[in-house]
Amino acid sequence: MKISIRDVGDAKVVEVEGDVDLGTSPVFRRTLFETLPLAAKLALNLEAIRYIDSSGIATLIEVLKDSQRLNKQFVLFGLSPAVQEVFRLTHVIRIFRVFATEQEALETA
Amino acid sequence: MGDPPRRLQVKFEIPSDARYLPVVRGAIGPLAAAIGWDESECRAITLAVDEALANVIRHAYHSRADGLIELECREIADGLEITMLDNGDAPDKSKICARELGCDQPGGLGTHIIKKVMDRVSYEASPEGNRFVASKLLRKTS
Repeated sequence: MKISIRDVGDAKVVEVEGDVDLGTSPVFRRTLFETLPLAAKLALNLEAIRYIDSSGIATLIEVLKDSQRLNKQFVLFGLSPAVQEVFRLTHVIRIFRVFATEQEALETA
Repeated sequence: MGDPPRRLQVKFEIPSDARYLPVVRGAIGPLAAAIGWDESECRAITLAVDEALANVIRHAYHSRADGLIELECREIADGLEITMLDNGDAPDKSKICARELGCDQPGGLGTHIIKKVMDRVSYEASPEGNRFVASKLLRKTS
């Protein structure tokens, strides 16, 4: 799994590539929790995720809750087929703000 | 009368270490595809097997990497059967499937995914160890 972070205006865009599983999700989790307080919005690009398991989805739920506590925006965009499949099976997509593209994710207040 | 048809059977002996999970995932998808499921179902079956292994690593072996998990994937007449054996702590049945799907709590997702994807799931503790058996029928979709 590779993670990179870049600044776009007031937002942090986090790009994740590869597999998020039991072995890699602690780094995924730590990166998101460390990045969340640093900008008004955290936009997570899930386009290059080849695999994500329930520990990855649990992390997204935890980050969402922390974003609400910190009054930050946490949005997702570019859901890969692997991510869509896990969201379909867990029915949690409704709790997230999900966009097709980075532009849409960053433009929406 | 002819011999019964030969069917695919794959066995793994996996250390209880999360770094081996991609190895198993790499095998399960093609195995499910060979039996006849489409790409989406293959992804779901791979996820269910991975979640079952992750549960054993986390809950039976408490993330210790020195345990052993025996995994057998067997093509059956109408689908796929997965059997998993470990010698870690027995599962707490009161905590299995204690989550409502769609809620905003992060815990318990893995077990629900397994139940959602597979048609039959059972857990039992025996003198040989903990035994997890799950099967999926080809004609049904998750």
